[in-house]
Amino acid sequence: MEKAIVLAASAIGAGIAMIAGFGPGVGEGYAVGKACEAIGRQPEAQGDITRTMLVGCAIAESTGIYSLVIALILLFVNPFVGQL
Amino acid sequence: MLQAGDYMQFVSIDWTLVFQLCNTLILFLLLKKFFFKPVKAMIDSRAKEVSDTFAKADAAKAEAAQLKAKYEESLRSAREEAGQIVKSARTRAQKSADEIVSEAQAKASDLQLRAQEEIVQEKKRAMGELQSEIGSMAVMIASKIVEKDMNEADHEKLIQEFIRELGDESWKA
Amino acid sequence: MNGPQILFVIPILGGIPVTETVRNSWIAMAVIFLVALWLASGLKKVPGRKQAVAELAVNTIYNLVGNTMGKDKLYFAPYMGTLFVFSLCSSLLSLFGFRPPTGDLNTTMCWALITFGMIQVFGVKSKGLYAKLHTLIEPMPLMFPLNFIGEFSNPVSMMFRHFGNIAAGIAITSLLYSGLAAASNILLGWFTSIPILQLGIPAILSVYFDLFTSCLQPYIFIMLTMVYVSNSME
Repeated sequence: MEKAIVLAASAIGAGIAMIAGFGPGVGEGYAVGKACEAIGRQPEAQGDITRTMLVGCAIAESTGIYSLVIALILLFVNPFVGQL
Repeated sequence: MLQAGDYMQFVSIDWTLVFQLCNTLILFLLLKKFFFKPVKAMIDSRAKEVSDTFAKADAAKAEAAQLKAKYEESLRSAREEAGQIVKSARTRAQKSADEIVSEAQAKASDLQLRAQEEIVQEKKRAMGELQSEIGSMAVMIASKIVEKDMNEADHEKLIQEFIRELGDESWKA
Repeated sequence: MNGPQILFVIPILGGIPVTETVRNSWIAMAVIFLVALWLASGLKKVPGRKQAVAELAVNTIYNLVGNTMGKDKLYFAPYMGTLFVFSLCSSLLSLFGFRPPTGDLNTTMCWALITFGMIQVFGVKSKGLYAKLHTLIEPMPLMFPLNFIGEFSNPVSMMFRHFGNIAAGIAITSLLYSGLAAASNILLGWFTSIPILQLGIPAILSVYFDLFTSCLQPYIFIMLTMVYVSNSME
């Protein structure tokens, strides 16, 4: 019973953790939009802009990745079951 | 206790970390020794060779330009010199030609003068000779005539008349 | 979902497990090393096609390092190149049905640790111990806790980023496979027990998770490593 509660709470926690995914989504969308504008203004700098945008997106993604790792840990490793 | 065939946890930190550290270092050393170093050395040596070649070509070009400038300079001075030589030769030739001509003119006029003088002299001399010859001839003729019959006065008159006639008409022809 | 499978256990120190991750890394290393040896064999002054590829690769990585870190730090290029191709090949192994070594936190953590060590060692080497420690209390001593945590948070974020991207690919691909198996069992179960729906659909996701992520993450990892190391040296 206790284990079932912990597992259920972990699953819910994983789901809640993934809410963090919307932050990077908004941020990256904004960055990509700005990059598109920049390319529209200056098509000859497309290579540089794309490279910078990809690196920036990857860094903006950090928080989403943290939440993903937390969710993965909660789902597949579950440190709380062991503490029962 | 871990056994072959078991699964590790999805997120875990274990001995694999050490393995991967060794793997990465080994791969790094291998690639550095067998790939990056030789290829980079080859690239660098070729780049050096290329830049050397370019430097050499530039030096050769500069040298050629210098040579060309020198050549042109010498050519120009030679041409100038030749022009000068021709000019001086021409003036000298002109001068000598003038000299020759004036000399020849002088000589010619000299010759003319002398010839005229000679002619005058000759004329004089011929006249004198003729006069004397005619005189003697007249005497001879006169004596011939005298042998016939003539006095001294007629004689002289005749001679003079004869001479005058001769001198006036027949010598002028 | 499972982690990497244990292939065998070395019976010392309480049993050292050798996992799929390690074996797949060895496969990637062998492939990289053999290809590199083949590319770098028979180098000539006038390059053939093979040597042109090798020189292009070396020039690209040297230019990247020169542009990012500065022309005086080109000696980092071999490590960055190694890290890039190792990470790339490790991630691309998932295309051939192997479990990618980068989908194991140990692998990315090992690289993050190397980056952390490089930041500290080269920072101290180029600035001196005092100046390097002094950066911890800049701009004022109150900032020490933040700076101290910041020293560790960069490598940690790098390691989780790389791991998370690849692991998400693994998790989502396996979820998709099991979902497609269930779907084909329900829809086509009366016809055949072979999960026909698994045939082409995962390929579309695979383009993003296996190809795009596999190529982008190594690039970001070495970019960040270069930026952090050159920042700590200045």
